[in-house]
Amino acid sequence: MSTPPPDLDELWQPVRLRTGPAWSLFGVWYRHVRVYCKTLLANITPPVLEPLFFFTAVALGLGSYLAGDRSFDGLPYATFVASGLIAASPMFTAVFETTFGTFVRLMFQKTYDAMLGTHLRLSEMFIGEMLFCATKGAVFSTVVLLITMAFGVRPTAWCVLVPAIGFLTAYLFAAIGLIVTSYVKLITNFSFFTSGVITPLFFFSGTFFPIRGHYAWLDAVSFLVPLTHPIELCRALFKADLNGATAWHLVALATWIAVCHLAALRRMRRRVLG
Amino acid sequence: MSSTSDAPATPLVVARGLTKRFKDVTAVVDASFEIAPNECVGFLGPNGAGKTTLMRTIYSAIEKTAGDLRVFGLTPMKDRKRINARVGVVFQDNNLDQELNAAECLLVHALYCGMDFATARRRTATLLEWMGLSGKAKSTIRALSGGMVRRLMVARALLNSPDLLILDEPTTGLDPQVRHSIWALLRELKRRGLTILLTTHYMEEAQQLSDRVLIMDHGQIILAGEPNALIETHLERYVLQAAGLTDLPPLDGDVRHERAGDADYFYSNAEPPLQELHRRLPSRQTVLRHANLEDVFLKFTGRGLQE
Repeated sequence: MSTPPPDLDELWQPVRLRTGPAWSLFGVWYRHVRVYCKTLLANITPPVLEPLFFFTAVALGLGSYLAGDRSFDGLPYATFVASGLIAASPMFTAVFETTFGTFVRLMFQKTYDAMLGTHLRLSEMFIGEMLFCATKGAVFSTVVLLITMAFGVRPTAWCVLVPAIGFLTAYLFAAIGLIVTSYVKLITNFSFFTSGVITPLFFFSGTFFPIRGHYAWLDAVSFLVPLTHPIELCRALFKADLNGATAWHLVALATWIAVCHLAALRRMRRRVLG
Repeated sequence: MSSTSDAPATPLVVARGLTKRFKDVTAVVDASFEIAPNECVGFLGPNGAGKTTLMRTIYSAIEKTAGDLRVFGLTPMKDRKRINARVGVVFQDNNLDQELNAAECLLVHALYCGMDFATARRRTATLLEWMGLSGKAKSTIRALSGGMVRRLMVARALLNSPDLLILDEPTTGLDPQVRHSIWALLRELKRRGLTILLTTHYMEEAQQLSDRVLIMDHGQIILAGEPNALIETHLERYVLQAAGLTDLPPLDGDVRHERAGDADYFYSNAEPPLQELHRRLPSRQTVLRHANLEDVFLKFTGRGLQE
């Protein structure tokens, strides 16, 4: 080894550190963004292509067989499906990140071990990760909005709030994903969750057909399902009709986020710190 | 640090009866030790002895079950932020971000440590240069050799100018050149005032670097002291090691014999009786050498294979 250059002394010069939570969260968020962007094309393929295929196959393909003047919850069918896909897209991007992604970081890449060697708190590590998911949710819900607009879906001015709904939805499902991951010992066991929970949520939360308005009990059940609320909020934007029901959906979404956020941090603390 | 020269320096780490139990194993049992500033202490032990768990309690990556532990006079877990701001950790596994390049790995870590981008970039460049990795700044982790990865991990642990450097098996799996370069690096860091804790199962590493070693087995610290003092206290000065002997030669009165598996060990404080024995033994695998830490270690942890 060669003689160390004298400027190494610089390392022992005191520097002012940003010890607050905001910079810690940013550091974690930045790490995930940087890693994500390394394989950007592969990463954005599913969240761009899948909604595109669902929209063209269901809204345009199947939808062309529906009577043109038929209204779905007050919207044309293509708009109805578009609003559902816009709200479901952040769910997928978040849930895959904090199930498979988090599991790989936890068990194989030991990413969290490296973070634990710094002054980062466990809560900062995982809130930063959920904020990264939420960022993706904001971006991809907007991308889906733009795709459907390219196929003729007419937005309203309220649709500028789509990224906000995408952000909140992704944060919620990132937290749900972390809770699931905290219990999973084998990566293959995520299939129970993705096929058993996420897929039915996608199909039966009112994405492709109205769930509500058939039976009172079904309405009650659907209100307990987490993806219902982002979808209903999205529809309210497309209808430009924000009313008391909209407020309840927002309250329900906020409650889900608060509960799952706390549960996710609690569960990951147990899983990571043993 | 204290200005009164004869007052003993306040220990950096103090453990009293430290115990860590997992669901079905007790990893650390009743460990008590102190680490003084600028000391280099080696934790020796077979795999599963509890060395890594012990290190993890110090940097708050794991909650202790019982006992008392102080680091810089602070309490791990509760004061995690303040303690870890002054600690650097070199992990046993390569947990660098595989997708990023060498410079990005350090940059991201510097941000975790609370540095702004300008400071993070400056320190990244300084450390890469010092580690001889400037040319590899843009290489992905996958493209680096094992030795480069380990040097990069040491660089990462130094980003926050730690007072306490913790290394978990820093040279496991490295070739001799790299191992010696890491040792030189650690000695340089000690000269610069760092306190170093390292775990290893290489006795030579412990002997080369450590002011003091703590030998662990089954979660307990079974022996502690300066490497050479431990050897002198617990063993004769010379060892003749032979493999595959069929029958034992007659032994001089002050030659002690031990057998483990197919290997025979002859110990003596004087060299001539062992030299004499060496000439008489047929085996080509016979070595006459100074007793070392490995002999002490094996004496206390048993020469048989541990399960």
